[in-house]
Amino acid sequence: MGLLSVLIFLPLAFGIVILVMPKKLNSWYKYISLGVSAVQLVIASYLYYHFKTGDAFAGVNQLSQYQWLENLQWIRLDVGQFGTLQIDYLLGVDGFSIGLIWLSALVMFVATLSSWEIKTNLKGYFALFLLLNTAIIGVFCALDLFLFYIFYELMLLPLYFLIGIWGGVRREYASIKFFLYTLFGSVFMLLVIAGLYLSVINPITGNHTFNMVYAMNPANYLEGSIFNSLSNTLIFGFPARAVGFVVVFIAFAIKVPVFPFHTWLPDAHVEAPTPVSLILAGILLKVGGYGIIRIAYGIFPEAAMSLAFWMGLLGVISIIYGAMNALAQRDLKRLVAYSSVSHMGFVLLGVASLTSEGLNGAMMQMISHGFLSVMLFFIVGIIYNRVHDRDIYNFRGLANQMPVFTGFVMIAFFASLGLPGFSAFIAEAFTLIGAFSSQTLNGLLPRWMAMVAALGILLGAGYLLWTLQRMFFGKLRLKKEEWKLALTDVNTREIIVLVPLAAMALILGIMPSIAFDVMSRSVNQFLTMFK
Amino acid sequence: MDVAFTNYQILCFALTAVAAPFLAFILSLIFKKIASIFGLLSITVSLVFSTFLFFSVWQKQTFHFAFSWIKLGNVSINIGILLNDLSVIMLLLVSFVALLVHVYSVEYIRKEALKYRYFSYLSLFCFAMLCVVIADNLFILYAFWELVGFASYLLIGFWFTKKKAVLANKKAFIMNRVGDVGFLIGLMILLSQFHTLDIETLFGAKGIIHSSFIHNGNWVTPFASMPDYWLTIAGFCFLTGAAAKSAQFPLHSWLPDAMQGPTAVSSLIHAATMVAAGVFLLLRVSPLFNDVVLITMASIGLLTAFMAATIALTQNDIKKVLAFSTISQLGFMVLAVGVKDNAAAIFHLSTHAFFKCLLFLAAGMVIHQLHHVKEYTKTKFDEQDMRNMGGLAKLMPVTAIVFTIAALSLSGLPFTSGYLSKDAILISVFEWAGERGGVFWLFPIIISITSWLTVFYIFRVIFKTFFGEFKLPLLINKKIGELHLHDPNLWMKIPAIILAVFCFGFFFALNPFNLESSWLHHAFNIKPHSDSSLHLFVPIYINALSLVLIASAYFIYAKNKIVFTNHKSWCYQFSYHQWYFNVFYDKKLVSLILWKAKVAFWFDKNIIDGMVHLSAKSTLMLAKITDWFDSYIIDGFVNGLASLVKRMGVLFRAMQSGKLQHYFVWMLLLFLSFMIYKVII
Repeated sequence: MGLLSVLIFLPLAFGIVILVMPKKLNSWYKYISLGVSAVQLVIASYLYYHFKTGDAFAGVNQLSQYQWLENLQWIRLDVGQFGTLQIDYLLGVDGFSIGLIWLSALVMFVATLSSWEIKTNLKGYFALFLLLNTAIIGVFCALDLFLFYIFYELMLLPLYFLIGIWGGVRREYASIKFFLYTLFGSVFMLLVIAGLYLSVINPITGNHTFNMVYAMNPANYLEGSIFNSLSNTLIFGFPARAVGFVVVFIAFAIKVPVFPFHTWLPDAHVEAPTPVSLILAGILLKVGGYGIIRIAYGIFPEAAMSLAFWMGLLGVISIIYGAMNALAQRDLKRLVAYSSVSHMGFVLLGVASLTSEGLNGAMMQMISHGFLSVMLFFIVGIIYNRVHDRDIYNFRGLANQMPVFTGFVMIAFFASLGLPGFSAFIAEAFTLIGAFSSQTLNGLLPRWMAMVAALGILLGAGYLLWTLQRMFFGKLRLKKEEWKLALTDVNTREIIVLVPLAAMALILGIMPSIAFDVMSRSVNQFLTMFK
Repeated sequence: MDVAFTNYQILCFALTAVAAPFLAFILSLIFKKIASIFGLLSITVSLVFSTFLFFSVWQKQTFHFAFSWIKLGNVSINIGILLNDLSVIMLLLVSFVALLVHVYSVEYIRKEALKYRYFSYLSLFCFAMLCVVIADNLFILYAFWELVGFASYLLIGFWFTKKKAVLANKKAFIMNRVGDVGFLIGLMILLSQFHTLDIETLFGAKGIIHSSFIHNGNWVTPFASMPDYWLTIAGFCFLTGAAAKSAQFPLHSWLPDAMQGPTAVSSLIHAATMVAAGVFLLLRVSPLFNDVVLITMASIGLLTAFMAATIALTQNDIKKVLAFSTISQLGFMVLAVGVKDNAAAIFHLSTHAFFKCLLFLAAGMVIHQLHHVKEYTKTKFDEQDMRNMGGLAKLMPVTAIVFTIAALSLSGLPFTSGYLSKDAILISVFEWAGERGGVFWLFPIIISITSWLTVFYIFRVIFKTFFGEFKLPLLINKKIGELHLHDPNLWMKIPAIILAVFCFGFFFALNPFNLESSWLHHAFNIKPHSDSSLHLFVPIYINALSLVLIASAYFIYAKNKIVFTNHKSWCYQFSYHQWYFNVFYDKKLVSLILWKAKVAFWFDKNIIDGMVHLSAKSTLMLAKITDWFDSYIIDGFVNGLASLVKRMGVLFRAMQSGKLQHYFVWMLLLFLSFMIYKVII
């Protein structure tokens, strides 16, 4: 059993342990979860540290170049004339996934610490929480489309219950909306996966395969099959591969979320308990970005190129539209949720540019947004936990009341609005540079897109600084007198959560090569598919 | 002093000079009690090493050190240090002025509870500003450029419970962000065209900018080409960036608001150093500008200089006047860059740093002492309002003297540093207009008028503050003696006196009447001015009228003999309300954006989410229809069949009554039907 399997199934094993543990030990659950996350973080760090870089380890469409590969035959079913149904348990990481795996491990650790606030039905909560953990890491490691899909859908189940049971007032509405919306996208994706299975042949065994790395190589497509680029199959009058791309793209665009598929996000975030918000913002959105890069773009490169303009346009709209909506919010959590829409728009824009700078910037933005959005949601959680209110206008002058907290808020806000020295600055600058030079390099995106997207940085400063001014500066004035006692400064546990996030954002801002070194080879390899 | 350091030593010096303030920033936050010592110490270290650097680089060599920071396959960004004449003079200037302001701040901020934050922020500012100056790469320059803005944000909002201060710092940061977006787009254009952002490689003597050209409507560089209008756009982008930082029209309105910060901060950041960073950027990238951009730049500089001077005429807040004066002087510098006289811009930037810093420090001394009076007498009045002042020259002689020296320099009167640098700009503008003729003659005319306005407004301040009758005692019903108003102590006096010394022209030119003998101007001046008669004519006619204006200001404001300002007149109101920019921005622009944000949210909630709900509802509707169909049609059929069977059962059951006669009748009927059927067929 490889390290990746340990990483994936460790939480599941302990989730089962928690399920069978007697109820009276329920104060132990959180420590078990924390321990599991800590071990995962150590393993993920080990993987990251020993991740080999160089042209021979680029991965992407070269299966042999993936690292920590695990390949087990899983399901072999003789289906008569269709040959053998072959599903592999195939895991591996390359430059695109390693950073996200480490991010997931950190976010899960932080989210577990944040779960201290959960007081009811602890057994169910932590069991589901660990199940979610397994699914998340699995998504980033799986290289077999079927396995990927299983993990992908497996994420939905615990999230549905975590929001629906431990959430806020409108939790049932939010959880159903979230569940159905995501399911809607992925069901159609399943059809594409089936189509790919019928089209792609394992070059070694000659069987049909779900292997996504093989699906990236046009030579592995069966002649005359539906997704073979030479067979020109039409679906509803459109080329099959374009339809396949669009379907997969929409499935992941819902996750990112890209305008106009984003409306589940503010509701889900606002209603979810803080730890689930952290996971949603920190990891779930990245699954969308990761899927767009690895599956939508990786498997249908020429369709992606022909639709690059529209991808870029959706990215720019998300950036501006998300920021404008954030500007209109009174609810702090909703504001942060909309800011996520805006920031994730950069990811799409960077990917659409198909330049080295743009893609590296997009990957960096995913990791950076992972740290920063988690920090922002945790900050909202700190206020909400104390007074059960999030309306911006009910607070003023918190800086004197909670000085250390305000310090963290300023770090998180300024890092999010792209202050140099923090990771978001590098990420956004590179994304924009990539988007701008796309016109000269490959002619995919017009130059105005980068220029309009740059306005998103301006709007970001607008809504964040406005919030800072309204809530934290000025003379102390709260909606209720008793809040003054409730609003205590951050405690040690909260500091332990906030410090590593802030530190990571800072470290990546000053030494971005830590992340760029790992992913730039894979990005270059990825770009060779678009020639 | 002739010193030769090895490259390694130069690198160490430069790193120490910038690292010291950064260390102080961190240490001040940890060791709160001795924060001011860290601040003072670090900036002294910076000054010492800057001096070393100055003497080893100035007019001798260009030092460039870089290492690879980010490598993305074929794209790599290097960062490093670039020391040339411009860098080292700025290095020296910034660290010197910063040291004086640090000393001054020790006293100015003594009573603040959170003064460790003040010193820590100030150190952060110094670090960022020094890095801006020595950055070798526009990307890094941009990063520290924003960091400088962040430090300024922190310092403007130092009194964060004051609503005006936090509104001001938000405004400053966001307006600067407008410029930053421009700057960033400029970077993108350059990177896309030249594949590098290294300043020396791009704009140096052998820079690749010189090998780019316009051909058939395309801007062609050795690496790429794009339509030629992008060259103009690139120029405008950098101009926007510089305009925001240097408070040029129309992005100037943050600077007067920024006066909500401590006065020492205003003096260092919002007068001497940070606001000059915009001009510095223009100088760094000046080879990029084409004629369209240069003329726009000159026009913006001219308009800003004139506008700010007219506004300064009527403000009553002493710091506001100085803020608008700063904007106006920065306009002079931008104008100088616009008319391609970089030497004059650098020169004026340097001299302005000293005299404007001094003006603020002296104003701060007045405000500080009046603040003490306010606390001491437990009364309420606005210590920055000049209408409460007057006659302070007798009570605070040192302050009055240094302020007057700085004012003379600002006015550009002979023997002062301002005389030389303003002279340089005016002459260039005259020459530039002479070459072009026609409507361009407006430039020298308006800039001359602006110079006279400058003299008038600054002497208005002097006469209202230091001469005439002291109005405060009457306002708060105390006698002058009761106020205990006097010059502040040495911590504040000494920096001011040192700056006052540097306001004299001797430091910048051996012959304080001759611009050409100035070492600073000479170093950057590529071509000397051709028409030497201008050197005689321009200063004479400017200064002659200036003296008249000083005299008239004296009679108006010190003696109150002439009253000519009609407070209700359109002109006065227009100037007093700062040309209504704030009204326009706050009432129109900001509310327009907020309105748009609300519309976007409405759209999101009702249209986008409405679609989601609609699809959910229509699915539900479809489900209901299916349900109806299922229960009435499908199930109806099944139920119908069942009830048919049931009825038939009932029918057949009825037959089996158990009575023999009934069976007989049924049998008969059946037999008869069968017979009839057979007969008919």
